[in-house]
Amino acid sequence: MSEKLANEAIVDHAVASIKSLRVDGGEVFLRDGQSTTVEIRDGQLENAITRGERGIGIRVLRGGRVGFAYSSDLSPDGIELCVTSARDIASVTEPDPDVSIATQKVENVDLGLYEAGIDDRPVDARTDVALAVERAAKAVDPRISGFRKTTYSDGTMTTMIATTAGVRGAYRETYFSVGTSAVATAGEERQIGYFGDAKRQFAAIDPEAVGRRSAALAVGKLGARPFKTQTLPIVLDPYMGMSLLGAIVPLFSADSVIKGKSLFAGKVGTQVASAAVTIVDDARRPGALRSAPFDGEGVATSTRTLVDEGVLRGYLTSLKTAKKLDHTPTGNARRGSYASPSRIGAANFHLAAGSASPEALVNGLDRSLRITSLLNLHTIDPISGEFSLGATGDYLENGERTYPVQGITIAGNLTSLLASITGVANDLTFGAAGLGSPTFVISELSIGGV
Amino acid sequence: MSVTERDAARALRTALSRGGDWGELFWERHDVVTLTLDDNRIEDAITGVDQGAGIRVTAGDRGVYANGNVNDGDDLLAIAGRAAAAIADDGGTHEVAAIHADELPRPSVVQIDPRSVPIERKVELLKLANERARSTDARVHQVTVLYRESVQDVVVANSDGRFRKDTRTRLVFGVLVTAKQGDVLESGYKAKAGTEGFEMLTEEAVRETTDTATRLALQNVAADPAPAGTYTVVLASDAGGTLIHESVGHGLEADLNLKGMSVYSGRLGQKVASDLITVVDDGTDPGRRGTQAMDDEGTQTHRTVLIENGVLKTYLSDRKHARKLGIPESGNGRRESFRHLPICRMTTTRIEPGTSDPAAILASVKDGIFVKGMGGGQVDVVSGNFAFEITECYRIRDGKQAEPLRGATLVGQGPKLMSEIDMVGWDLGYSVGTCGKDGQGAPVSDAQPTLRIPSVVVGGKVTGA
Repeated sequence: MSEKLANEAIVDHAVASIKSLRVDGGEVFLRDGQSTTVEIRDGQLENAITRGERGIGIRVLRGGRVGFAYSSDLSPDGIELCVTSARDIASVTEPDPDVSIATQKVENVDLGLYEAGIDDRPVDARTDVALAVERAAKAVDPRISGFRKTTYSDGTMTTMIATTAGVRGAYRETYFSVGTSAVATAGEERQIGYFGDAKRQFAAIDPEAVGRRSAALAVGKLGARPFKTQTLPIVLDPYMGMSLLGAIVPLFSADSVIKGKSLFAGKVGTQVASAAVTIVDDARRPGALRSAPFDGEGVATSTRTLVDEGVLRGYLTSLKTAKKLDHTPTGNARRGSYASPSRIGAANFHLAAGSASPEALVNGLDRSLRITSLLNLHTIDPISGEFSLGATGDYLENGERTYPVQGITIAGNLTSLLASITGVANDLTFGAAGLGSPTFVISELSIGGV
Repeated sequence: MSVTERDAARALRTALSRGGDWGELFWERHDVVTLTLDDNRIEDAITGVDQGAGIRVTAGDRGVYANGNVNDGDDLLAIAGRAAAAIADDGGTHEVAAIHADELPRPSVVQIDPRSVPIERKVELLKLANERARSTDARVHQVTVLYRESVQDVVVANSDGRFRKDTRTRLVFGVLVTAKQGDVLESGYKAKAGTEGFEMLTEEAVRETTDTATRLALQNVAADPAPAGTYTVVLASDAGGTLIHESVGHGLEADLNLKGMSVYSGRLGQKVASDLITVVDDGTDPGRRGTQAMDDEGTQTHRTVLIENGVLKTYLSDRKHARKLGIPESGNGRRESFRHLPICRMTTTRIEPGTSDPAAILASVKDGIFVKGMGGGQVDVVSGNFAFEITECYRIRDGKQAEPLRGATLVGQGPKLMSEIDMVGWDLGYSVGTCGKDGQGAPVSDAQPTLRIPSVVVGGKVTGA
C-alpha cells in the first residue's frame, strides 16, 4: 500500500518539491470532490452513481516559460513526478515576461457556498426529490407521457491553492441540482421540454417548480407549425436569455482582446450595446453557483460592471493578461478541474434587471416571436460573433400567444444583437449554469422558415 | 499500476458480496499531452495522467456505480466496497465466474507511438502550420494551432468472467485561423484527427489542414451572409457526415428507443428513409476517430447495418439495452471515462455510397445551396428536429458552384429529410468530431456521399433585412 497523504500535506509536499528545483516559482492547485447522482425511470431508481475525484495541477515557471502538469497519483513519488513533468514541459514554451504567479495574500471570506450534512442524506431521500419532479410534471397536463431522464445530484468539493510566493487559500462548496425532460404526446406528435436548476443549499431547490416548467415547455410545443421566413422582434425569457448571454462572455476575455480575437478589442469607453444593457459579473454574490473567494490562480475575485448602460467598461483578466494591459487583475482565471490550467471566464455573469414587468414589455409589440428552445448554441462563433441557430417558439400578437412554431432558425451577430436590445424586464433570474438574465426584447432578427 | 486478472476477481467478489446479480469493473489510465501555439508562441504545454476505476453492480433493473481515482489495489477495493454498500439488497453473495482473459483484434494499427516522438518534433509541426497560415495572406490576423495526444489504456472485467484490455491512441491536430477585413472578423477551423499513431501527422497532412482553415477564414471574411428560407441543397461528400449523425444516428441509440423517446421507436422493419439510404455504424473502420477494438463494456465493436435501403434494421446497443430490446449487442456502450456509466453511442457512422455521379447531382440544381463543410450539430430526438452548422457553402446557379456564403445552418426533421433525399452519389467523405450526450463526450467520425435534398430550411439573414 502506498502512503496516503491528506490534502494539506499534498499541497505542502508539492510546494516544497517545486522550491527544491532550480526554477522561478510555481503554483499548486488541488481539488477533492465527491458527488452522488440518482437517475429515475418509470417511478423507480434506475442508477445511483457515486463519484470521487482527487488530483493536483501544477504550474512551474522558469525563465518566463511555463509548464503545466496534472496527476491523480497523490503519493509523494507521484507528486514529485508531476512537478518535474511540469518543469520539463515548460522548456518547449516560449518565454513571456508577463507570466506570473499570485503574490498577494487572499482574505478568507465566507460567501455561503457550503452546506454541511450532505453525506448523511440517504439515497432514498435523493430519489424522493427526483420522484417529486416527475409527479409535479405529470400533474400539469394528462398529455405528459414520460421523461427522457430525471436526475438529482449533489456534491461537495474542496479547492486549495498555494504558490511558492506564499499565497495559500482553501474553500469548500456544495451544490444540489435537479433536471428533467418531460415528454408530451398528442396522437403521433411528441415534444420534449428540458429544465434543470441548481443551488448551494438543499432546501433552495424546488423540484416541483422544475417539473412544472419542464412539462409546460413540452406541452407548449404541441401543435407547433412551420413558420414563414421573415424578420420579427424576438422575446427571450430569462432562461433563453441566459443561453444567448453565455455566448457573449468570450468577447470580454482579455486574452481574446490581446490576440485580436474579440470584437470588443479597443472598444472600452465606447457604446457596444443599447442603453438598456448593463452587464455585471459578480463573483462575490452570496450563495451563487459561480461565486468563489479567489480564482484558479489564487487571485481575489471581484464584482464588476462590464457594460454600463451600453458603454464597455472593461475586460475579464488573469494575472498575465492584466499585466499586459497594465490593469489590476480581476480574478477571472477559472479552473474547470485540476487537469486543466486556468482559462479566462466569468463568474455570475448577468444582464442587470430593468424596470418594466415582462408582460408590459411584450404587450407593446404587435407581432413578435418568443423563443422556447434553441438548438446548436455551442456553434456560436465568439470570434466573428455570427450565430445561426435552430429554434422553436411561440408566435405572439400584442403579447398574446397565438400558436407554437418549429423548424425555424434565428440568425444574426452578437454585436448587433446587443445593440438592438430595446427592452429589459424586472425579472432577473439566475440559472443552473450561473448566468443570470431578465426577460428582454431584441428589436429584430432574421427568422428562416418556409 | 495496471489491473491483473487477480485484482479484478477480488474487486468483483467484494462488489458482489452484499447482493446484486452482476458486476463489472472498468479501469483506465489516460495519458494526455496538449500543446497550443497561439499569437506566434507556444503558449500552453500540458502533460498529465489520470488513473481511476468504476465498479458497477446491478440488481434487476437497479444499478449502482461507484468510481474514483485509484493508485493501488486498496483504492480499488475501497470503490468495490462502496458499490457493495450501495446495492445492499440482502440478496446474498453472488458468485463471480472464473476470470478468463482473451484478446480482441485491434482494428487500428499504431505504427509510431506518439509518446516516443520527441516533443520538439511536435512543436515543429505547430510552427509549420502557424508560419504557413500567416504567409498566405495579409488578412490572416491570428493563428491558433492545437496538438493533443491521448493514450487511454482500458481494462474491462465482469462477473461473467470477461477480462479484456484495449489501448486507444488518438491524435488531434487542429488549426484555427482568424481573418480580419475592415471591422469584420471571421474564423476558419480544420482538424485532422484519428485513432492512429504519429504517422498520420505528416508535413503534408499539416499543410493540408492549415490550408483548409486559412482558405475558410479568408473566404468567410469576404463572403455575403447566407440567405434565410427554404432551398434545394446539395451536400458534397467533402462536407462529411454531421447530417447523418444528427438527423438519424442519435435517434437509433437503443437507450432512447427502449423508453420510446425517439422518432424511430417501435419502427424496426419499417420504412424510415428513402430507398437510396443505407446507414452503417462501424467501430472497426481502421484509423477513424470513432474506432476501437471494443466498447467500454468489453464488447467487440462491429459493422452494424442500421438502415438498409430505407428499412430500419436495428439500434445501437449496450449490454443492458440489447437485452431489454432483444437485439444483438452491437458494441456501442461507450463512456467518456471511469467517471461515467456507459451509454449507447455512435462510433463511425456513414451513409453508404449510391450510384449517382456527384458532378451530375450538382448540375441538376438550377438554384440552391451547395454545402462543402459541416460543423457542429444538435438534435431533439423526441421530435426529430435537428440543426447543424454549415462551415463552407456556396450558392448554386444553373448547376454550377457560384459565390461563397457565410453563417448558414440547416434545420429539419430526421425521418422527413431522410425520406426526401432523392440523389445519392458514388463518392464518400469523412469528418471527425466529439459528440456530446448526457454530459459525456465521445470521439466519433461520420461519413456520407454527395446527397441532394429537394427542400430544406436554411438559416441565414433575411434578404434586405
